[in-house]
Amino acid sequence: MAAQWDTSRYLALFVSEATEHLDALGKELVRLEGDVTGEAIDSLFRHAHSVKGMAGSMGYEATTTLGHRLEDLLDRVRTSPNRFDRQVADLVLQAVDALSAHVKAAAAGEPFPDASALTQQLETVASSMRPGTTPIPFFPPEAPPLVQSAPSTEPQLPPRWLVTLRVATTSAQPGVRGFLAYKRLSSLGNLFRCTPPLDEVKSGKLTNGTFSVELETTENEAAVQKTVSQVADVELVSLTRVTAPPPTAAPAEEKPAEPEARALGQEPQRTVRVRTELLDQFLDLAGELLLATAGVREVGRGLDEEPRAQLNGSVDRLHALVRGLHDKVMEARMTPVSVITERLPRAARDIARRRGREIELIIAGSEVLLDRAIVDELNDPVLHLLRNAIDHGVEPPEERRMRGKPPRGTVKLSVRRVSDRVLLEVEDDGRGMDVERLKAVAVERGLITLEQAKDLTEKEALLLSAAPGLSTASTVTDISGRGVGMDAVKRAVEAVGGTLEITSRRGLGTTFRLSLPLTVAMVNLLLVSVGDDVYGLPIAKVAGVVETSRSRLSHSQNVPVLQFGASVVPARELSAVLEVPGRPHDVEALSPFVVVETDEGRVALAVDGLLGQEEVVLKALARPLDQVKGLAGVTVLGNGRPVFILDVAKLEHPARVAAGGEA
Amino acid sequence: MSKRVLVVDDSVFMRDIIKDIFAAGGFSVVGEAGNGVEAVEKYKELKPDLVTMDLVMPYRNGIDATREILRGDGKALVVMCSALGQETMVMEAIEAGAVDFIVKPPRAEDVLAVVKKVLGEG
Repeated sequence: MAAQWDTSRYLALFVSEATEHLDALGKELVRLEGDVTGEAIDSLFRHAHSVKGMAGSMGYEATTTLGHRLEDLLDRVRTSPNRFDRQVADLVLQAVDALSAHVKAAAAGEPFPDASALTQQLETVASSMRPGTTPIPFFPPEAPPLVQSAPSTEPQLPPRWLVTLRVATTSAQPGVRGFLAYKRLSSLGNLFRCTPPLDEVKSGKLTNGTFSVELETTENEAAVQKTVSQVADVELVSLTRVTAPPPTAAPAEEKPAEPEARALGQEPQRTVRVRTELLDQFLDLAGELLLATAGVREVGRGLDEEPRAQLNGSVDRLHALVRGLHDKVMEARMTPVSVITERLPRAARDIARRRGREIELIIAGSEVLLDRAIVDELNDPVLHLLRNAIDHGVEPPEERRMRGKPPRGTVKLSVRRVSDRVLLEVEDDGRGMDVERLKAVAVERGLITLEQAKDLTEKEALLLSAAPGLSTASTVTDISGRGVGMDAVKRAVEAVGGTLEITSRRGLGTTFRLSLPLTVAMVNLLLVSVGDDVYGLPIAKVAGVVETSRSRLSHSQNVPVLQFGASVVPARELSAVLEVPGRPHDVEALSPFVVVETDEGRVALAVDGLLGQEEVVLKALARPLDQVKGLAGVTVLGNGRPVFILDVAKLEHPARVAAGGEA
Repeated sequence: MSKRVLVVDDSVFMRDIIKDIFAAGGFSVVGEAGNGVEAVEKYKELKPDLVTMDLVMPYRNGIDATREILRGDGKALVVMCSALGQETMVMEAIEAGAVDFIVKPPRAEDVLAVVKKVLGEG
């Protein structure tokens, strides 16, 4: 399998580059179905060609042959694009998967899976496509019905309508009226090519009050008409089906890597590509500038009133400028969610096919922008939610029929911006989750007591599916209607400052709602002092603060506990957690206890003082500090003092600390 | 049965005008609130068919209140009341889930037209 010469030092490079090509091939292919252009096929061909070449250099014979056959097939498609149909697409996807499996095996040093049958099939199909031959059925009739098993995930888009609307000229706020109509339409599906652009619609500057937008929706004509009719002062001028795929502005601008450029019909903007690390550095520098500005202001505190006033005036101006710069840098980091969603149709199709489900995947709002760092982190969680929705949420077609549901399940992924948050929802119309069962299993596994289970709200109970001890238990998969790895999803979402919420109705479906911040770099801290040091606790993780004396804590199984609301929370000295010296304290004196949310539940941390709240620029820790447990990052306060930000979620819960009672 | 409306505005004067418009239009105003906090509570308590919501109010503005109401009841119909010059805020409210808006000073025919449309009666 491997060549005689030492290829191991190229292995990592091979794996990463080949994976990149194969990913791109898969993505482009799914996008291609329905709209075959020579240029697009060329691109597929080049990816296959590159993989074949690299595999050859590594001495992977089977991989090379497979790549070669794929290349041949794509070459045939290139010369006769009309022969490219779903069956060919399926075959190409299979080849991509097989090649990916080879690459993975190479990376892991394992034997390559056998792909000879597929290689043969590629060859047969390619030769049947020789110019002049008529297409023959590629699959013998007894072959599994690949196409029918998941027809719904077919990336052929739902019908598209050109909706032309007129806002009454007598309308008091025509801009808002137009926007309202636009929003209402967006509830039906995806909107494209708003003409004139949405900003102009919002400004109310419309010729004759008319604007148009393309709506991609599975809803029928009547639904569109009804929606528009519910908006006062807005009239539906025309509703026509857009038959052909919309002509692109100019082929050169339709870069496959930027599908969002087509959305919303904005004028193509002039862009340059910037390395993402450069953007990270910009952000770092802008953050440093903010901190430096605060530093200058701090210096002013030592001055007499008059020079201080002068200095402060300048500092205010400087601060505003730096803030502006910071905002612009943040803006440059904004990435459309489509970066994640564009690969989902392919994934949904694969999962549905494997699991024998029929799925319609609806994606809405993928043009919404989020900080690149968040988008990167969401990749896996979103895929996971999709997989769960199809795998464990949506029932098999027969079962759905029996329940009086349409055999084809719907999974809807919608993204929308709500003031300074972005809501990402994955909603299915499947069997829903069994709250009582979840509680029962959680009790069985000792995650919660029977009493606690009784007190849980439905929302809290549903979140049990994301508790580490539960979601990893494979037995729960089917009874709860949710599968493994939900804890990882929750963790990833919380790591970027988001929250996870689950709503579910038995028999009707489940919705996972991720509420995400637009950016990750700013964090709101509660500053606390321990001994001579200051630490930051992310406000998002602080449930509350209680002032009490240590002598008034009760004890439960040797662990001091604090009464907090209706519950009791184990209490610890923050100094003990951090293993730093705290101030000596009088057990009768009042001390602040900050109640924080860790992954394992609430903990009350006794601190020496509360110093206030501050919005800071979070900076990642560099080596070796990033190895220290319990720290999430660092920031520098206005007085130049570095402050460590505690990784509250990961704090050790006293229930697991050897019972000794440090508080 | 006539539709039940909750009127939210920090000005008693404005609430009275709006209430009169609804009464004349055959709606029943089942409650009123003078700020966003009260609005959310009243909504939970009364479950009206429709809410008219002022934008700028003490304690909690109309946008936040709308968001909170919709969080509790995704099907809530909230119509914003705005003055000219508040377009950006209204759009934010629409983003937050408000279904429509009326412009102050409210004119009876406009208010009723919007409300009937929203309730699917127009």
